[in-house]
Amino acid sequence: MSEVMEIANGGVIWLFAGMIISIVVFQGLLFIRLASKSSSAVGMTKGEVQSALRTGAISAIGPSLAIMVIAISLITFLGDPLTLMRIGIIGSAPIEALGASIGADAYGAQLGAAGYTAEALTTVVWTLCLGGAGGLFVVAVFTKSFGKLEKKASSKSKDGKGVILITTAALIGAFSFFAGGEAVKGYIHLFVAVGAGVSMICMQKLADKRNLVWLKEWSLGLAILAGLFTGYLFT
Amino acid sequence: MALNDTSLSGKNKAAPGAEGLTDYYSRIHFWGRVTIWSVIILSLLLPVYLSFVLGYHPGWGPIIAAYLAFAALMGLAWAMEPVLYYPTLGVSGTYLAFLTGNISNMCLPSAAAAQNSIGAEPGTKKGEIAATLGIGAASIMNVAILIPIIFGGSYLLSVLPPGAQDMLQYILPAIFGGILGQFAIKKPVYAVVGITVALAVIMQPVGAWNNIFVSILLTVIVCMLIERRKKQ
Repeated sequence: MSEVMEIANGGVIWLFAGMIISIVVFQGLLFIRLASKSSSAVGMTKGEVQSALRTGAISAIGPSLAIMVIAISLITFLGDPLTLMRIGIIGSAPIEALGASIGADAYGAQLGAAGYTAEALTTVVWTLCLGGAGGLFVVAVFTKSFGKLEKKASSKSKDGKGVILITTAALIGAFSFFAGGEAVKGYIHLFVAVGAGVSMICMQKLADKRNLVWLKEWSLGLAILAGLFTGYLFT
Repeated sequence: MALNDTSLSGKNKAAPGAEGLTDYYSRIHFWGRVTIWSVIILSLLLPVYLSFVLGYHPGWGPIIAAYLAFAALMGLAWAMEPVLYYPTLGVSGTYLAFLTGNISNMCLPSAAAAQNSIGAEPGTKKGEIAATLGIGAASIMNVAILIPIIFGGSYLLSVLPPGAQDMLQYILPAIFGGILGQFAIKKPVYAVVGITVALAVIMQPVGAWNNIFVSILLTVIVCMLIERRKKQ
């Protein structure tokens, strides 16, 4: 087991992880720069650009910490660099955990058990990397076509109001499904979701009434904490 | 699209400067593809290195078996997720979110919160720029949190009191409940429809229908029917 981890934490794997993370950071910084430059073309002020950036960063703190919890539980099987590049970045923590178990199982081993050899680890890496490449491939090849289709659709419609309503309804449908799926797992899950939702509604009302921009920026982070606290009261 | 005829009375301020974004989009497409293809290539070289340079090749049998099993579970999501999230993320948000990962639990909530903070509507150009800024900042924040934690091992987590650590398993209902609250303020009726539809879809007995696509489609149809009735 310790030999396997020595391989998993090897220098070349660190090099791969380092390059992939650098590309992700590079893309993030570049897109922020391009979007800020184009902000005036869509009627956005400099203050709004700052506000959108702050809100994105603050809202990521809670989810990011939660991702780390899953990541840390998998470090013992995958090693630091693989965990870093697959679970924290590019992948999605629960899905990568699933893929890792499938990969080990196909080699006839269990993650971290006696049969978890270097070959079993290699099978896991193949599974995760091929799996991740599938989704990225679709994005790399088809996103341009989506853009063209959208242009056609929006040039046909006279104004964007219908599109906004449909998009909003679709988003609400997606988040309702995610929230509902969590809420039916147990009463604590339900209380956490309701606590977060209700506190969010109160914060938004207050922020609108008093015109508190900072409260809007912090609202998702605070709602997550409020939800967790509600759940804590019931455990 | 049935709404177009009814909403003509609006101010028709359709996306100011949408034409001025041509240069923005050509750069986004170029760099979006370059970064994603580089990551795809690196992701494939890594297992090749383990298999054939270090010589730990497990044989193609288990690799193919594992990939098929993984693809059977996730294949639909790989193909459909970009389509599903495209209306919210837009072109630039799609490139960003899929490379950043953790789309439903981090990128989408951050994008929606960023749009909400400056009152930009999803599905507009301003909404897309706001989403791009939100996800970009989230991605950088994620890396900034991730790296010290990985290097600091599990030390940081062990500092958290056990009660707080236990609560982190409930982070997903907290994120989704919070975002739903944000939408409920803007569109209370849609939120009621969405939750009702989602619970019905989740609790009905046919497994194949317990699906996010069914949930989204039904929510959109019901909401649009309500809009049409309101206009009449």
